[in-house]
Amino acid sequence: MRWAVLAALAIGLLLLALYPLVATGYGIRFMLQLFMWVALAQSWNLISGLTGYVSFGHVAFFGTGAYAGAILVTTHGWHWGPASLAGGVAAVILALIIGYPCLRLKGPYFAIAMLGLNEVMRVLVSYFEGLTGGGSGLSLPTLHASGQIYYAMGAAALAVTGAAHLLITSRVGLRFMTIREDEIAAEAMGINTERYKLYAFLLSAFVPGVVGGFFARDQGYIEPISVFPLLTTITMIVMVLFGGKGTIWGPVLGAVTLFVFQELVWARFLYLHQIFFGAIIVFVVLLMPRGILGVLQERYRLPRTI
Amino acid sequence: MFRKKHDRLTAGWVAVLAFVLGIETWVTPAAAQSPIKIGASLSLTGTYAALGQNQQRGYQLCAKQMNEKGGVLGRKIEFVLYDDQSQPATGVRLYEKLITSDKVDAIMGPYSSAITEAVANVNEKYKMPMVAPMASTTSIFKKGRKFAFMVQSPAEVYLEGLIDMAAKRGLKTVAIINEDTLFPKATVQGTVEIAKKKGLQVVFVEAYPKGNTDFSALMTKIRAANPDVLGAATYFDDAVAITRQMKELNVNPKMYGVTVGGDLPKFYELLGKNAEYVYGASQWEPELPYPGAKEFNESYKKEFPGADLSYHSAGGYGGCQALVEAIKRAGSLDGEKIREAVLKLDFNTVYGGFKVDQDGFQVSHKMVMFQWQEGKKVIVWPDELAAGKARFPAPPWNQR
Repeated sequence: MRWAVLAALAIGLLLLALYPLVATGYGIRFMLQLFMWVALAQSWNLISGLTGYVSFGHVAFFGTGAYAGAILVTTHGWHWGPASLAGGVAAVILALIIGYPCLRLKGPYFAIAMLGLNEVMRVLVSYFEGLTGGGSGLSLPTLHASGQIYYAMGAAALAVTGAAHLLITSRVGLRFMTIREDEIAAEAMGINTERYKLYAFLLSAFVPGVVGGFFARDQGYIEPISVFPLLTTITMIVMVLFGGKGTIWGPVLGAVTLFVFQELVWARFLYLHQIFFGAIIVFVVLLMPRGILGVLQERYRLPRTI
Repeated sequence: MFRKKHDRLTAGWVAVLAFVLGIETWVTPAAAQSPIKIGASLSLTGTYAALGQNQQRGYQLCAKQMNEKGGVLGRKIEFVLYDDQSQPATGVRLYEKLITSDKVDAIMGPYSSAITEAVANVNEKYKMPMVAPMASTTSIFKKGRKFAFMVQSPAEVYLEGLIDMAAKRGLKTVAIINEDTLFPKATVQGTVEIAKKKGLQVVFVEAYPKGNTDFSALMTKIRAANPDVLGAATYFDDAVAITRQMKELNVNPKMYGVTVGGDLPKFYELLGKNAEYVYGASQWEPELPYPGAKEFNESYKKEFPGADLSYHSAGGYGGCQALVEAIKRAGSLDGEKIREAVLKLDFNTVYGGFKVDQDGFQVSHKMVMFQWQEGKKVIVWPDELAAGKARFPAPPWNQR
């Protein structure tokens, strides 16, 4: 069984790796953005799915990475690869600054603080015009690198999913989940909750920053509202809730299902996809709060570590 | 919660649906007389929805009327339109889809400079010409791109009319103030150059931060500089506040004009008599006597009863006219040939002149200047489009 799963995974990855050889430009762009959503949803899962601290401002890390990466590319002539990694580092630094005080807040207070963070970042980016181009945005030199960015995004999605696997099957992950289930009990058991929450938070900030850098390079143009939209955070959350929060494959399943469905539906029906999206939120929250994988786990006694 | 049977049933339906949708995209008729496909994504939902929809109506009306006249190259025109949800990332993906999957023959631009800037990289990659009616940021067209073509006037010429009229009346000095953001800044840069060229002396230039409401210090400085002309590169709120405070502090140059915001009916509603004699800049007004503009206004109202008619609609229509004309002259759907034809175009659309330089930058379309006269916007510049005479000079504030 275990070998079958591994073999299936390997074949899947091989097919994805070969896909650009046969794909149209649209196919590559579509898959690239799909990988991006998998990476973002999975990152959100690391903090919110595992420790239960709901972040409503995760796009702040994405935007920070996008701007850091874009600035390094345009004004310092960096290659987009290292520039995006630096974007990830910038996001982690931001997470450290903001997480240290904010993770002491509990429940809705943390969620709201994060919501504020995103707005603050957007305003700051608009304000420091000399560096960021302000409201007029930042235009990167023209470069057609969708093929390479496809692999980079894919690697990011794979890496963060691998991290989720490592965490969920390890003691560190158990500590995260203990915090989620009962923080006071976790503390009583000797878990340094502040420290572990911060670890989860930093981990969850890195990949969105990197992916933001890739995104900026792929788009060739970013502006404050295009990389700091609240909608991106909400989409991440819905994807994770839909697939199953706190699981390894839930965020992947949620991102793939919703993104593919959105593409199929919304090309045909203009307003329907918004209704559909709203309906999913309501449906999931009311009927299957643990998402698809959560339901399957309950019903078919699947292992906790999927 | 679903029962097992239901689960399977649902999955089955989803599979059928996906299959049907898939089939539909595969089976595309390949007849010889298939229509020429022009692709575009527009902001039909999201932040820019209202404006994007106006632009969409312009595209649709253009296709309909071109087809009534027999189409182009003996074929009908068909628009393939998608909704980019006002998001550049979605726009980029959709333009890839239009070009590589729907295999459109040419494309028109999306709404807004921001989305145009992002998707211009896509059509450039495939050497597919794009006429972009709703982008007026100069830099998009000065990055060495070969396949993006501008339709509107750029920020730099918004106050050209004001300066030109002042020069013709023999005025000597001009002061310029602006909101400290990119678009107004570009306007100031352009205005200073135009003023120098026309022999006016720029005696005062100062920017104020975005969201500023108290202009009294600025007004004192302007009064000290005592210019004949005051140009303000504004958005809406600041245009209203500046006009109000000019009256309060009795700053009264012979001519005073604003850029964006002055053309909205609300500008007059808020200011009343104080808006009289104020000049404003506009890309397009329905009453402009461009060829076909009157018919455009009428058929637009007939085709879309009750729908909003703005420069976005006219720009969409005019841009589409330019593209179709270029295809006609190229006699081909080859990207390079259409590009050559666009570069040679020099004609009038319902939106005004269309002629681009080698970079695709618009050089013919004219901004117009209007003046608020008795509650109406009267176009006073340029002369050949003017509907009335400018009331000059502006009387003291208490006699308006």
